[in-house]
Amino acid sequence: MRKKVILVVSLAVFIVSLMGGTMLVQAAEKPVKLTVVGDAGHNQKPWEWYKKDFLKLYNVDLKIVGVPFAEVYEKEKIEFVTHTGAYDIVTFYPKYLGDFAGNGYLYPLDEFIAKLDPHLEDVTPGYRDFYCKYKGKIYALPYDGDILNLYYRKDLFENPEEKANFKAKYGYELRPPRTWKEYKDVAEFFTRKKGETLAGKVLQRDFYGTAFYGQRDWCWAWWGNRFASYGGVYFDEDTMEPMINSPAGVKALEDMIEIKKYCPPNVLAFGYEELKDAFLNGDTAMVIQWPCVGKKGADPAQSKIVGKIGVTTVPGVIKDGKLYRRAMMPCGRVLGIAKESEYPWKAYQVIWHVSYKTSMDDVSTAKTGLDPYRYSHFQHPEEYEMFSTIEAAKIYLEGVKSNMEVGYPELVIPGAEQYEDVLGRKITEALSGGKSAKQALDEVAKEWDKITNRFGREKQKQLYRNLVAGWRKAGLWK
Amino acid sequence: MKEKHKVNWEKAMPFLFILPCVGILLAISIFPLIYSLWLSFNSWELAMGFPPEFIGVGNYIRLFLEPRFWNAMLNTGRVLLFGVGSQFLIGLAIAILLDKLIRGRTLITTLFLLPMVIAPVVVGCTWRQIYHYEYGPLNYILRGVNLSAIPWLSNPNFSLSSVIIGDTWEWTPFMMVVILAGLQSIPEELREAAAIDGASNWKIFTHVLLPLLKPVIIVAILIRVMDAFKLFDLVVLLTQGGPGESSETITYYNYLVGFKHFSLGYAAALSYIQLVVIIVIANFFLRFLRERETR
Repeated sequence: MRKKVILVVSLAVFIVSLMGGTMLVQAAEKPVKLTVVGDAGHNQKPWEWYKKDFLKLYNVDLKIVGVPFAEVYEKEKIEFVTHTGAYDIVTFYPKYLGDFAGNGYLYPLDEFIAKLDPHLEDVTPGYRDFYCKYKGKIYALPYDGDILNLYYRKDLFENPEEKANFKAKYGYELRPPRTWKEYKDVAEFFTRKKGETLAGKVLQRDFYGTAFYGQRDWCWAWWGNRFASYGGVYFDEDTMEPMINSPAGVKALEDMIEIKKYCPPNVLAFGYEELKDAFLNGDTAMVIQWPCVGKKGADPAQSKIVGKIGVTTVPGVIKDGKLYRRAMMPCGRVLGIAKESEYPWKAYQVIWHVSYKTSMDDVSTAKTGLDPYRYSHFQHPEEYEMFSTIEAAKIYLEGVKSNMEVGYPELVIPGAEQYEDVLGRKITEALSGGKSAKQALDEVAKEWDKITNRFGREKQKQLYRNLVAGWRKAGLWK
Repeated sequence: MKEKHKVNWEKAMPFLFILPCVGILLAISIFPLIYSLWLSFNSWELAMGFPPEFIGVGNYIRLFLEPRFWNAMLNTGRVLLFGVGSQFLIGLAIAILLDKLIRGRTLITTLFLLPMVIAPVVVGCTWRQIYHYEYGPLNYILRGVNLSAIPWLSNPNFSLSSVIIGDTWEWTPFMMVVILAGLQSIPEELREAAAIDGASNWKIFTHVLLPLLKPVIIVAILIRVMDAFKLFDLVVLLTQGGPGESSETITYYNYLVGFKHFSLGYAAALSYIQLVVIIVIANFFLRFLRERETR
């Protein structure tokens, strides 16, 4: 009988403790559901990788929404305007910062940053000051540090026969081009037909000197490298008159029209993938591309030219004996928190995690297209495991860094989408032979003027001036 | 006195029954129509966050002075003329051949219908591969017969034609199936009578079949014209309107203005112009039908 009583009491204690435990668990905080949106594909991988960590560390159940690369702006903007609160974390291209922060769609992060430091002092000034800050406040944390770099085929540039032939033809050593003139010479030299010889091998298909991003959404950035190195600026700071059709702009476009002869005939259909593949499939001697192409080029699963890629600064021009080079900083990605998010602090913890805690892992893998943006990302070549040696990783990082030092920022005032749309459209018109460089850029200037008037000249001028003042302070503007 | 105010439920009941339907219709169809009309008289630059500002017919004036608008209209006109035109001719030819076929007609008709039932996105992706400069089968054939490969999507002389070819492949089956249905509804006796009277095949086609097919053809072309006027998916997937503006259609332009630039007033005005053009075209075709009925 006693045994029975002990058994019943024990059972009762066990059941009560179980119930208590369950109640305790229930009383604990339920996971907070957050939604992150961004361009679908390889750049959303980190969200998938750390989904479990977010739940464990921050009690956040993250829903990942991917949208096409070209539709990020409209998807996010529509949700913001209609106040649906559909997204908590938004991944966007910094050119929309003026629009998103200026219209009050984003949560200012300064207060959170004071509580949980993302170490922005470690972020290179271009990304920190212009792609994350708006009117003195921080609205985003960096996620992807895009900049254009010159990639070239080391094996071809080092081939003795090619070197000798180049010197015989152009009168100077074959080397990664430092100026646009040299770039044209090298592109012309390496453009060969099927059946001709390249580095001692008979070509099975046509080979091209170079290629560029030809689709109208981003092609302006490839023109921008030249425009900027020739001394071009977007607007006159005093009048907000477009300076896009200045002699620098026209010369840049004329150069591009010339270089098109040494590109694949369908280069105007080239977007990111096509341009990357043309180089990594071994069809071009050089390309100017985003940093991720260097990482992917070291991955045998994605590249046929592993170990043969050199990375250096984009070419420029020599003025008064000095070499001026400017590398456009198009695209990039930053993370913001929607003003209507119910859990901004939780959302901040999540973006802090990927922008700071795991950023080294995310930019140093060939599985993402994310590129270095912190000084620390450049200090650890050993992390970039896709490269066969630490030396190779160092060369890659040095190349990217050299471009960052001469970065030329993208226009991030409201209406950037419209300004860039016109520019891209007219540049492709000139490239396809429909208009002369001058005619195309004069039309751009006219349309830019109309856009500025629609958005309010004075307002735009003030925003542009502030932007330029910041660029100057960071040493990115003359 | 009480009698006067008595509700006649018998008369009111039908109205009560259709009230929810009318309410829903007003909310989802009529209200947006009126709202967008009001919007078209306002300037609303959402990228700047300005509130709508009444500018009267300003958007319409801007639109008519905009060369890009006329270019897009011209491109859309080309799609209608060459795209729908070739869809009609090829569809008619296939329908006549299938009409004469006795065995396997159902199977062949079903196979012909496949492009139409494939999702437009898949059609776009398929044609993107077909047009690929290096690896596409089209250029492979051209190279095979010692012709130069063509940059179908990146040459402004070919970009719109490439879109039209894709659209023709996708929608010719629609023309074919509608005309085939029309042909099969024509009594066999009429053809036999004409043949007994000594009419040749050509005469039978032009004097007997074609006049009887006219209403079917008009309706098929009208449907396709209205649909092709809104051509968007193939433009997005193949050329994004480029190079330059060479393949930009009016709907794609409207999308860019509305959802990329967020110039909502201007986009609304553009939509209304499209609506007016569609109504004019529809009336043009419907007049043929009415004339026939009058006769």
